[in-house]
Amino acid sequence: MTIPSLHLFVQTLILGVLVGGVYALMSSGLTLIFGVMRVINVAHGAFLVLGAYLTYVLFQNLKIDPLVSILITMPLFFGLGWVLQRYMLSRIESPEQTSVLVTFALALVMEGLLGAFFQTTVRSVKPSYATEALVFLTYRFPVTRLMGFGVALLIMLLLYLILQYSQVGRAIRATIQDPRAAQLVGINVTIVSAFTFALGVSTAAAGGSLLSMIYSFNPSSQADWIARTLSIIVLGGMGSLPGALVAALILGVMEQLTAIVITLYWSPIVFYFFLFFTLIVRPQGLLGEIIREKG
Amino acid sequence: MTRLRTFAPVLLVGIFLILLVFPALQHSQYYQHIMVMTLMSAVMASSWNILGGYTGYTSLGHAAFFGLGAYLVAWTHNHYGWHPFISTWFLGLVVTAVALVMGWISLRTQGSAFVVVTIAVVFIFRLLTLNLGSITNGAKGMTQPRPGWGGVPWSPVMIKIPFYYIMLFLLVLTIFVSWRIRQSKFGMGLVAIREDEGKAESVGIDTMMYKVLAFGISAYFIAVAGGIYSYFFTYIDPGFVFDIFVSVTMVLMAILGGRGTLWGPVLGAFIMQPLSNWVVAEFGGTQIHLSVFGGILLFVMLFMPQGILPTVSEYVKKRVMARRAATAG
Repeated sequence: MTIPSLHLFVQTLILGVLVGGVYALMSSGLTLIFGVMRVINVAHGAFLVLGAYLTYVLFQNLKIDPLVSILITMPLFFGLGWVLQRYMLSRIESPEQTSVLVTFALALVMEGLLGAFFQTTVRSVKPSYATEALVFLTYRFPVTRLMGFGVALLIMLLLYLILQYSQVGRAIRATIQDPRAAQLVGINVTIVSAFTFALGVSTAAAGGSLLSMIYSFNPSSQADWIARTLSIIVLGGMGSLPGALVAALILGVMEQLTAIVITLYWSPIVFYFFLFFTLIVRPQGLLGEIIREKG
Repeated sequence: MTRLRTFAPVLLVGIFLILLVFPALQHSQYYQHIMVMTLMSAVMASSWNILGGYTGYTSLGHAAFFGLGAYLVAWTHNHYGWHPFISTWFLGLVVTAVALVMGWISLRTQGSAFVVVTIAVVFIFRLLTLNLGSITNGAKGMTQPRPGWGGVPWSPVMIKIPFYYIMLFLLVLTIFVSWRIRQSKFGMGLVAIREDEGKAESVGIDTMMYKVLAFGISAYFIAVAGGIYSYFFTYIDPGFVFDIFVSVTMVLMAILGGRGTLWGPVLGAFIMQPLSNWVVAEFGGTQIHLSVFGGILLFVMLFMPQGILPTVSEYVKKRVMARRAATAG
């Protein structure tokens, strides 16, 4: 244990908040999907890593900047999500535990395929500005993290606008609040589910692109990422977008603090403990309502 | 139907007799190795089934107890010279005690939240083992001396055979306990919890107590298997035993064969384990076996969620009924 100086402490807070913003984007899709469909998409981590690999390929072969590649990966993932929901997930009769196993199986399939194509070598995307940092009042702001934070906020703002002001967004919010009543007033739950899943998966594409330039990754990283994003949405209250934002910032800061106060090796465990104890002490999370249980 | 009733026990006894003399029939180390692993998988799937099949609580956390059993046995063997073939039975009880606490905490959640908590259990144990390097030797893992008895190592030609028989014994014990539970009032209570937990509680079943007990019992045989496994391979590391994939494997086997049935998990193990060995041998260093496993799991969940045994028995029942209807008409 080392007690950090004030300067180091503030620097850690800055890094924590920057990384927390990216975490928020990464978890937004997961919590949205749970809110509408009551499905925990355990394949979300694998989608993130798949997005990172896609960004890696675009960068290595076509020299496309990771931030620009978001414009390519997001629509692709939207289509992928739509197809998966319509032709696979919608077939499951009783969701809950079954959907966890099905999405887990999906994650395994993706991890195996990524391993077959890219081996288990650890990769990362290093654009020209990868090691640069802005210095403000003696505090360092790494450029990739700053850009990641900005892009994450931008996409979340877009998501918010879609949910708040579009027709389909209203339908999604209505379904989150009360699926049966939503159906009664004529909302097509099949379409809303497919759209939500597609939207959720497409945020994973953007999250994956940001991941690729901030972190290194290999196919088995998907396990770490599902743990992180799940902890965030559990802490924030499953199905709650503002909750996910707050929880992502908290966990981002906690992770960075653990890394400097104890060691880097202990920081991943922060997530698991948070996940474990939130579910036991306050299953509805920080801002969420109690998880509705059927049967 | 009556023919099937008399046929089934004869078939089981026949298979058991073949299993009993298998090492004498098949001298290939490779096939003996696969059989040891298959028996172990059958133990784990059957043991998982006591919780996951009877109560319907899908735990992906049981790899934690496998790893804990493996590490305890390896550690006590290295430090106190306890022979794994004896110590594993007692250390399994220690793991069960840990599992009871874990069960007591995690069984407060239900549905998908429970699955998520149990996933976290595996990762917590994995990270603890990785980070407490002074005890566990961290990522470098733990080795044990070459298997033997009383300081004399077993001959390399025969080395798989003791493991084969101890696993076979463990499997018989596991199936026996699973069968006794299924027949008992306790087992009825577990199935009642699966069918409708609220109603089970209202007729006076202490559901929490039942679930925690089932959690603990299902951890025991998996922990014992883990202990034997660590000696079988004489090397373990955190990523190898505290692996969520180990959990998924037992869940897949149980579901494939028929979760909640006595023999389903055994059948699932005898299908999946040889298949998995074949895939790894064929495609070697790649990660493609993950895709194969995931693909099979997907297929089973989407098209045969009941598993093989219930699907087949339903089909047979339907045909018998149809034939009866035809002769009666």
